[in-house]
Amino acid sequence: MIKIKLKCFSQVKYAFGKSEISYELKEGTTIKEFEKMVREKAKGRLDDVSMSVAINKQYISNNAEIKDGDEVAFIPPVQGG
Amino acid sequence: MIIVEIVDSDIEPFVSSNNQKEKGAELIFNGRVRETEHGKKIKTLEYEQYEGMAKKELINIARETKKRFPVDDIFCRHRIGKVKVGEASLHVVIWSKHRKEGLEAMTFFIIELKKRVPIWKWAILKDGKKIPSKCNHE
Repeated sequence: MIKIKLKCFSQVKYAFGKSEISYELKEGTTIKEFEKMVREKAKGRLDDVSMSVAINKQYISNNAEIKDGDEVAFIPPVQGG
Repeated sequence: MIIVEIVDSDIEPFVSSNNQKEKGAELIFNGRVRETEHGKKIKTLEYEQYEGMAKKELINIARETKKRFPVDDIFCRHRIGKVKVGEASLHVVIWSKHRKEGLEAMTFFIIELKKRVPIWKWAILKDGKKIPSKCNHE
């Protein structure tokens, strides 16, 4: 098992009511598998939200494998400016 | 030169100058909070950032802008936390030799900022409710 941190912002934070959640995942879990799990846990509250992914504060575009100690963020549409 | 700052109080504008000999254009952009968010009247917006990543992305965009357009300086201050209607949430200054590249660089910088920088708005409504803003105009 690996231990990771999910950082929650905007609509993800609103859905879970928390800014950070710790998870224990199976080794080899990919971002897509984790995203599916997070969306299911949100019980529909993230269904219409498109999200980019950042691992350790860096955008990623591939279906990377999550590593022990990673900080993962599903980034809803950003709104700076 | 590139200066990028994320601040949690009133934005202090960057100091202008009358002593630039080769920089013929000084472009200044201030983004301000509107009174209406998604059709609802608001009191305040609260900006939330992904600490560490937001500043890093702003620096990346400033570097990309400088590579793409022949501009001299990009200065940017983005505010986080509560920002009242009418107050500035974003202040960008670009210095360049001529206006054309400065204007193009400013447009590129702001479009990329609005696509990539992990900063979000929460609307604080007149009744005190706080909800994630759904507004994400490019």
